[in-house]
Amino acid sequence: MENNNWTLSAPGIHGEPVAMRDLSKETVDFCIIGTGAGGGVIGAKLAEAGFSVAFLEAGAHWDPTRDFVSDEMGSRKLFWNDERISGGEDPVELGSNNSGKGVGGSTIHYSMIAMRAHPADFQRKTVDGSVAGADLHDWPLQFEDLEAYYEEVEEALQIAGPTFYPWGKRRKRYPKRQHELNASANMLVKGCSKLGIKTAPAPLATLSSPYKDRPQCVYRGFCNYGCSTNAKSSILVTYIPRAIAAGAEVRSHSMAAQILHNEKGLATGVLYFHKNSKELFLQKAKNVVVAGYAVETPRLLLNSASYLFPNGLGNSSGMVGKCFMVHSGHQVFARFPVRINQYKAPPGLALTEDFNRTIPENDFIAGYTIEVVGPHVGDFASRLSTSKMMWGEELRRTMYDYNYYSGVGIVGEIMPQEKNVVKLHATEKDQYGLPVPHVIFSHHQNDRKLIHHAIMKMTEILEAAGGKEAWSADRTAHLLGTCRMGNDPQRSVVDRNCRSHDISNLFVCDGSVFPTSTAVNPSLTIHAIAARTADKIIESA
Amino acid sequence: MTNDNKISSNKKNRYLDYDVLDKWLSPDFDDHTREVIQQRIEGDKKIRFFFKQEVDILSAVADRIIPQSDREDGEKVPIVARIDEKLFEDHRDGYRYEGLPAQREAWRLGLAGIDQSSRILFNGKDFSSLTATSQDSVLKILQTGKAPGEVWEKMDSAAFFKDILLISIVKIYYAHPLAWNETGYSGPSSPRGHFRKWEGGIDPWEAHEKNGK
Repeated sequence: MENNNWTLSAPGIHGEPVAMRDLSKETVDFCIIGTGAGGGVIGAKLAEAGFSVAFLEAGAHWDPTRDFVSDEMGSRKLFWNDERISGGEDPVELGSNNSGKGVGGSTIHYSMIAMRAHPADFQRKTVDGSVAGADLHDWPLQFEDLEAYYEEVEEALQIAGPTFYPWGKRRKRYPKRQHELNASANMLVKGCSKLGIKTAPAPLATLSSPYKDRPQCVYRGFCNYGCSTNAKSSILVTYIPRAIAAGAEVRSHSMAAQILHNEKGLATGVLYFHKNSKELFLQKAKNVVVAGYAVETPRLLLNSASYLFPNGLGNSSGMVGKCFMVHSGHQVFARFPVRINQYKAPPGLALTEDFNRTIPENDFIAGYTIEVVGPHVGDFASRLSTSKMMWGEELRRTMYDYNYYSGVGIVGEIMPQEKNVVKLHATEKDQYGLPVPHVIFSHHQNDRKLIHHAIMKMTEILEAAGGKEAWSADRTAHLLGTCRMGNDPQRSVVDRNCRSHDISNLFVCDGSVFPTSTAVNPSLTIHAIAARTADKIIESA
Repeated sequence: MTNDNKISSNKKNRYLDYDVLDKWLSPDFDDHTREVIQQRIEGDKKIRFFFKQEVDILSAVADRIIPQSDREDGEKVPIVARIDEKLFEDHRDGYRYEGLPAQREAWRLGLAGIDQSSRILFNGKDFSSLTATSQDSVLKILQTGKAPGEVWEKMDSAAFFKDILLISIVKIYYAHPLAWNETGYSGPSSPRGHFRKWEGGIDPWEAHEKNGK
């Protein structure tokens, strides 16, 4: 690694290109597939520890000053738009709803809500016992294993949060002060106050005061469409510049096709397509980390099946692709007598975790967080029209009141079920000739009861705040499970350090490793797991 | 849904003086956003994917989903051309529900199905020659998943209506500055952003209300 190969350039975050090493001809220490919350964090930390790291990213390397537009439809390029087939009784909306493409992954368009999971979330089985039809497991990690890493990534992302956060284990103060609430958030706070429900400003991964070379948030409200000002602490503007400076190569437009292995069954590299070529390239590597999120990660492992591993890599348990989970993301909107203008400022400025636990009088286990949402006009119109089957003049007239609507949504815990899967589609291929993912999802009875409870509660809150004519939209958020971590190699894909039980130099490091979904936004936990995994690798090297 | 062919004035758009494009040169429209919006306004109206008959059916459908009888012909938000463009370029959405064919085939089948249902229900008349009331009836039957016609044995009419037809038309309409004007949506906001976030708070560069009545 002594050769002076800083011959490439990558887009910097202020419009100036930055020098980058070319590692395409080397056998790198780590080839990392995906540059989101999992891949970005682990890759940057490994590079800073002195390992040679090559990232393969299927999408573009964004230049925030030129590529991120203030427009919903103009932002379609940020999403994973390749075909996937979505089935089951409750098929999941993919694409712009939960799937990013490009350096930074889904952190480019996520809502930045940076919550920690709670101690009970890592022990769902112990806390609640068995649930018929659900494949509940405790995590092989406990809250205490991740606590220091939550703190580490909160510092790296400069999370802006309240001084006193009323739920969970007492914590050190957030690096940045909380953001001022917008009108939508005030409606949640108002309704909850009337009903005796606690609320708090949401901890957010966007700057509330300048930090190093990045400015504070200007509340333009296009957080779900890429942040053009760099206030948002996406992986693109935080860990990726660190990784590049430490000598990593971020190879964009590189779609991983297969992971290769030797006769001993150890991973040796990754075959990938570059810039829509039909030709395959090989990145040789001593270790491979798969961080493509809970659809592309199992897809790649399954697509890598070989004579040694006929069911796919790391899949002796048969659990690759199983127990696919989302969060319930149901939303309720209501019309208020004052202007709300819900498009302003980050969409999720306030929340309540009062229902995020198993409550004995409920007829379901686990719980949900309620958060403010703030869809822009196109998203709002499509939710309104498809939820209420409203069209024609009625739709246009109702939309005249767009600025008077406010809404809330949940992150609801979903039961892991073996029948919910990501598998390879039997016949359909993508533009590279690779079998497309076939995603199958149906709600568990517990999910349905939880969702029903949440919709009633959200309606009650908005009405208590003065909202009228409430209506709900069926939605899901996030992609989880499909390569869960566990201590039992028969029932899990990776160990507590995200290392494959079958292949010692293969790691999975993204939302796929979650054994249960928790009821908080998963990004911070994914960051924290990746930060911890990097340390475990560094310690054992 | 009412059947009169005019956007009724009993609940008129509140923002009669507001034109989001007045902000074109303001600190809300950065150069690359301007490019995207310009392309949308001036966009190519050439039809490259649909056949003539499909254009007729889809135009009639779009007029019922988003009636624009309050605008002159040249001033309407173009819907059909945008859908045609998406299909010609084959821009996908990242998923499709099981049971629906790939988008190009789904649109061809669906539009043929609408015509089929129309002919079965209304004595052989094609969809675009029906009265507005009858067109609404066909669409409402589509919506229930019970539309007649052999096309709908291959594809669920309710899924086509909701997950393809309705959502595509609505998204395209509300992506246009004319729709932003009537809803008071502030549109692009980079680099300036927003300041008055509280309830009732309206930045000088946001839509102010002036009702014609």
